Amino acid sequence: MENPVFNTRGARWRTYAIAFFITAFIFATALYASNYFNTERMEDIRATQDTISTDILSLETQFDLLQEHSCEDISENTILPSELRTLASQLSHMESQGARNWDEVIRLKRLYSLLEIKDYLLMKQIAAKCNLKPVFILYFYSNQGDCENCESQGYVLTELAENYPSVRIYSFDYNLDVSALQTLISIDNVENKLPALLINGKTYYGFQSIEDVERILPQLATLNPATSTRATSTKK
Amino acid sequence: MYVFLFTVLYFEVFLLVSFLERRRVSSTGSADASIVDTTNLPRVCVVVPCFNEARTLRTTLHSLLGLEYPKEKLEIVVVDDGSIDDTLIVARSFEHDSRVRVFHKENGGKHTAMNLALLHTQAELIGCLDADSIVAKDALLGIIPVFENKKVAAVTPGIHVREPRTLLQHMQKVEYRLSLFNRFAFATLGSLFITPGPFSFFRTSVVRELGGWRHGHSTEDMEMALRIQAAGHLIANAPNAVVHTDTPATLIGLSRQRIRWSYGWLRNAIDYRRMIGNTRFGNLGLIILPSALLSIAAGIFFFLSAVWSILQEIIQQITRIEVTGVLTPPTITDVFYLNTSAVLFLIVVSMILIVVLISIGSFVGTNSRRPPLATPLFLLFYGFLAPLWLSIALVRAAFKTGVRWR
Repeated sequence: MENPVFNTRGARWRTYAIAFFITAFIFATALYASNYFNTERMEDIRATQDTISTDILSLETQFDLLQEHSCEDISENTILPSELRTLASQLSHMESQGARNWDEVIRLKRLYSLLEIKDYLLMKQIAAKCNLKPVFILYFYSNQGDCENCESQGYVLTELAENYPSVRIYSFDYNLDVSALQTLISIDNVENKLPALLINGKTYYGFQSIEDVERILPQLATLNPATSTRATSTKK
Repeated sequence: MYVFLFTVLYFEVFLLVSFLERRRVSSTGSADASIVDTTNLPRVCVVVPCFNEARTLRTTLHSLLGLEYPKEKLEIVVVDDGSIDDTLIVARSFEHDSRVRVFHKENGGKHTAMNLALLHTQAELIGCLDADSIVAKDALLGIIPVFENKKVAAVTPGIHVREPRTLLQHMQKVEYRLSLFNRFAFATLGSLFITPGPFSFFRTSVVRELGGWRHGHSTEDMEMALRIQAAGHLIANAPNAVVHTDTPATLIGLSRQRIRWSYGWLRNAIDYRRMIGNTRFGNLGLIILPSALLSIAAGIFFFLSAVWSILQEIIQQITRIEVTGVLTPPTITDVFYLNTSAVLFLIVVSMILIVVLISIGSFVGTNSRRPPLATPLFLLFYGFLAPLWLSIALVRAAFKTGVRWR
């Protein structure tokens, strides 16, 4: 065992300094590691967005060449709603992580909104040409603390997306500064009474339960329910 | 958040560096190693202050009588502080031994019992052993040689948990190992600010010079240590002087004890606030006392943060169940969603450092580096338990409500 120990109590400035440098090093390492993983995540999101962007471009090209292709070819190559959901979930996660990389998160979110709008418009055109009847739900939310039921509405839509994977749910941050989004809001006359759901050209304000949405969209009953694993959340 | 984390980490790193520096000095052979000179041992008085300790006193006295120390130089003074059980009868049954003297007085608190013994002893060194503790045979021989240094006014022992049975006691065993390290490290910095009840010893002349023991907000051991430090004396630690002490078996008992300790620490810190940040008191004033105070604030802050996060998660789950009727247990299926925040990283580093300190504490106290088995439990639950009594003590200290021993 240790021998008895005592010492003079004079301040040990050298020890203070060594401890300070070690602690500072640990802090710097922690911040660097956290930043590194965040950057990696951003890269993941960027890669997913690039993929979706390429898919949309490909789809647009195919659509332009529709005369030479069958509708089956087109529908086989459409972007999976789950891809958009995953992207939404990842962005939502990054948003919840706080202010670090905040500008980059917002930039990616803007791009995501644009991709959503593009996908929405393209799918509408394909549906018209190919006589398809996809189910679209446009969800407008706010995360500025002025939307009491947005969180609950997010859960409902996540559950719906999991129950009916073929439903295309697009979620938009109502306050996001994207001109295309603001144009969409303006065209569809979506008022700032959130949460708001735009379904078949009609806007429903306030919280809509799963039963409410199923009542609005009776065709959901004809869709195949999910048999796969649960997806991640849509947005809140 | 980052300020608290930096403070906590800095304190841990500082203690670790201090320990390693001391080890380096020790390995070069210039450490303060003492050799027992059995022919020239001082006269020692061990006081056993008792209040309703009939159940445990017998074992305590047997362990004292078994101490390896010349009979003619050891006196054991049992002070019955107005017990209403059979404490006095048990104490009197030991009076046949020439080393044992028994006093009975009206109940007045531990400090009054200590002062009564101080009044009746001519011993050069006076110590205390709470009646819920037992000592190893060679414990006194581990303490006494340290007093050969005339600057040393008090010596604290290595305190271990006695026969832990409940889960809570096993967690306290881990905590005591950490305390073994802390006490050792504080001693290397000349900054011990507690002389615990179980088997701390004092130079009698210094105690008399300082005016004896005081109530010290029900923590006379802390008050005395601070007074010794304020007077410019040194307090040493002898971890090889092994003492085993009973610890509370229930959460209520533990909370009551810790509220008293924390209350006493806070009130004494206020009384001796002139020492905090004062360069005249070296490491004690510059690092140890401020860090100990900040640790309380940090503990409460982290506790409230954790409670807030857990509450938010619960509320989210309830909302989700309400609107979807589905319970979704939190599962991470994608590494993307792993928490990699700097705060979490720093908390993990801090936890690892605590395990290292516990391991060193085990080595200091038992020569084995293996931390007790309950270490994970200690890390998981103590962080939630400690802030509870710290918060209560903080409020009570603010309103000067006082605390009771039992």
